[in-house]
Amino acid sequence: MNLLSRSSLKRLLAALLLAGVVTLMTGAPGGYGVPAYTGLHGSFLERVSYFGLFRTQRWFLFLTLGIIAWLVSTYYQRHSLTIRRRLEPVMAIPTQVMQRRTNRWLLIGLVVIVTIFIPKLVHQQFWMYLIVEQIGVWILLALGLNVVVGFAGLLDLGFAAFYAIGAYATAWFTGVLPTPAPFNHPIPTLWCIPIGVGLAMVFGIILGIPTLRLRGDYLAIVTLGFALIIDDFVGTQSGLTGGGEGSLTVPKFAVHVGPVHYTWGISPTPYYYLCFLFVVIFLIAFTALEYSRVGRAWVAIREDEVAAESIGINPLKYKVMAFAVGAASGGFGGVLTAGLIGNINPTLFQYQVSVNVLILVIFGGMGSIWGVAIGAIIVQFVTSYLDNYQPWGYQLNDLYMYIGALLIIMMIFRPAGILPSRRRQREIQSFEVDHEGHLDEVLTGDEP
Amino acid sequence: MSEDLLIDVQQVTLRFGGVVSLRDVSLAMRRGEILAVIGPNGAGKTSLFNSITGVYQPQEGSITFASSKAPPLSVIGKKTHRIAQAGVSRTFQASRLFSALTVFENVKIGAEDHRGIGVAGALVKGPRTRRGEHTSDKVAASMLRFVGLFDESNTVASQLSYGARRRLEIARALATDPEVILLDEPAAGTNPSEKLELTTLIRRVRDERDVSVLLIEHDMKLVMALAERIYVLNFGSMIAEGTPEEIRANPAVIDAYLGSSTEETSA
Repeated sequence: MNLLSRSSLKRLLAALLLAGVVTLMTGAPGGYGVPAYTGLHGSFLERVSYFGLFRTQRWFLFLTLGIIAWLVSTYYQRHSLTIRRRLEPVMAIPTQVMQRRTNRWLLIGLVVIVTIFIPKLVHQQFWMYLIVEQIGVWILLALGLNVVVGFAGLLDLGFAAFYAIGAYATAWFTGVLPTPAPFNHPIPTLWCIPIGVGLAMVFGIILGIPTLRLRGDYLAIVTLGFALIIDDFVGTQSGLTGGGEGSLTVPKFAVHVGPVHYTWGISPTPYYYLCFLFVVIFLIAFTALEYSRVGRAWVAIREDEVAAESIGINPLKYKVMAFAVGAASGGFGGVLTAGLIGNINPTLFQYQVSVNVLILVIFGGMGSIWGVAIGAIIVQFVTSYLDNYQPWGYQLNDLYMYIGALLIIMMIFRPAGILPSRRRQREIQSFEVDHEGHLDEVLTGDEP
Repeated sequence: MSEDLLIDVQQVTLRFGGVVSLRDVSLAMRRGEILAVIGPNGAGKTSLFNSITGVYQPQEGSITFASSKAPPLSVIGKKTHRIAQAGVSRTFQASRLFSALTVFENVKIGAEDHRGIGVAGALVKGPRTRRGEHTSDKVAASMLRFVGLFDESNTVASQLSYGARRRLEIARALATDPEVILLDEPAAGTNPSEKLELTTLIRRVRDERDVSVLLIEHDMKLVMALAERIYVLNFGSMIAEGTPEEIRANPAVIDAYLGSSTEETSA
């Protein structure tokens, strides 16, 4: 064994450093009213059980874990070829199975059936509510941002703005804002779906036409500014938007067509189905777009804008279209949220929301519709679970520390996301060959 | 001016701040010819291409593209994609393919009609959309057969050899149904046998597809074999114009270009 070789010792050092960081991250928090060093101090010295054998200080436990990680990685390094060769046929099975059309449809059918029966499986109203508000709505947001970031390659850091527009449009048209509804005539909440979606799209176009001439970083900054303006506007214009208090209660969705009378009540289940319906609609629509000439034009612009222009593609037009199309599902997410939670206020649309949605898209796999949907489900479920149960001494404030770590790990091992889009994966691979991997340029679609 | 002019560049001056990239450059290209622009590195050849395709906006002069299907287009101030739609297509010095797409997709994107919105068509997939798809598939296939890459249809573009990439770029440019194609150093980085293939291909572009060719090239053998007329740029100015024989005998050209770097150009 060459455990003492130079590269092996380097790995040991890395493993120990990593163990140290993990000890700190997972350790006791510092805080107000306790000595400043408590967090640091406690993380290392707090007494814990050592694999149930005896009690010792945390640093010793994590030192052991670090050494185990080192041994495992050394073993893997030595036998990586064999391991990979053995694993290859196993890893290829899902792809092989999915290549068959019937299997694909079977899987989709299974997913649909499970999704339909989820309200029967989840008995707690609380969790049903979370599923709609924290997962369903966020799938919609992530799908919309995926069109902008994933398909067209535009880094949008202000997607929450469209979400806010959808929600506030609903509040305005149903007449629950301090400012009266248009024509002084509040309309039913259900009618706000086309209005909220439409308005979000219009804002996408209005924002897009002047700003989408910018490239890469500049666009990211402008969209960030737009989101901050919207956030500030709804937060401070008390006479128009209700300011920090937000709106009064948005009426529930209700259908009154002929003999059919139905009102979405307090139970989250009907909202779940409404949300599900629209997720399916957007999934189908965005998939159709991806494989249309519009989708191909987006790929062309994302890959090489200059070349795209040279074959007659108007980049500005297609970018504005991506903004508008993406804004549609963001706007719908806003309408649904307004109908579901009633009182909407600026805290729902803070800058954080834009970043969160972007994280979902990156995690799931930019440009991969299914990846983004699955990524949104995983991340949002885990986050909701952690928020509400706080297992293993998890601290609420630590959420973004873990998400940050997750993103770093993702970028190292799976930069194209958990379920990568095939085109994106190829882009990253060919890019790494050409440029030894600068992923920011893949992300923003900048020319190298 | 005779009426068969296709591209008419008149006294174009292009400046970047204080740097003059093109000085009073004129060029007249006839319909159906293979025309080459040569000159040492930094002479402004690619700047001229970029001016004709709307990437750069020259401060002085005029560029007119006389399409056979539409009224003459004054190029300066127009957007690149408008000029491309009007029938001026191009390739790039360092090939700019959509490297993550397959060979077929690369060409198909070129063949597609990028006017209109297309979202409704994509969602509803009416007969018009389907007909459009069908047409662009057919065009893409025929262009790939034309450049001899049809068998590579499903290969990812980034995996092609250098010479094949150049041919693919030409196929993509041709798929836009242009009247003139601007080739920016098509033979750069290719080996001798690929060069020979390219020479034949470029001639076929003009003869079989009826597309005029404007060419920038360093490889003198290729230029002399292909071009019917040659323009010579040096330090942003047009210093000579004529048939290959005339150019070869022109003392100013020999001085500026051929004489000083014979080894490099024949390499």
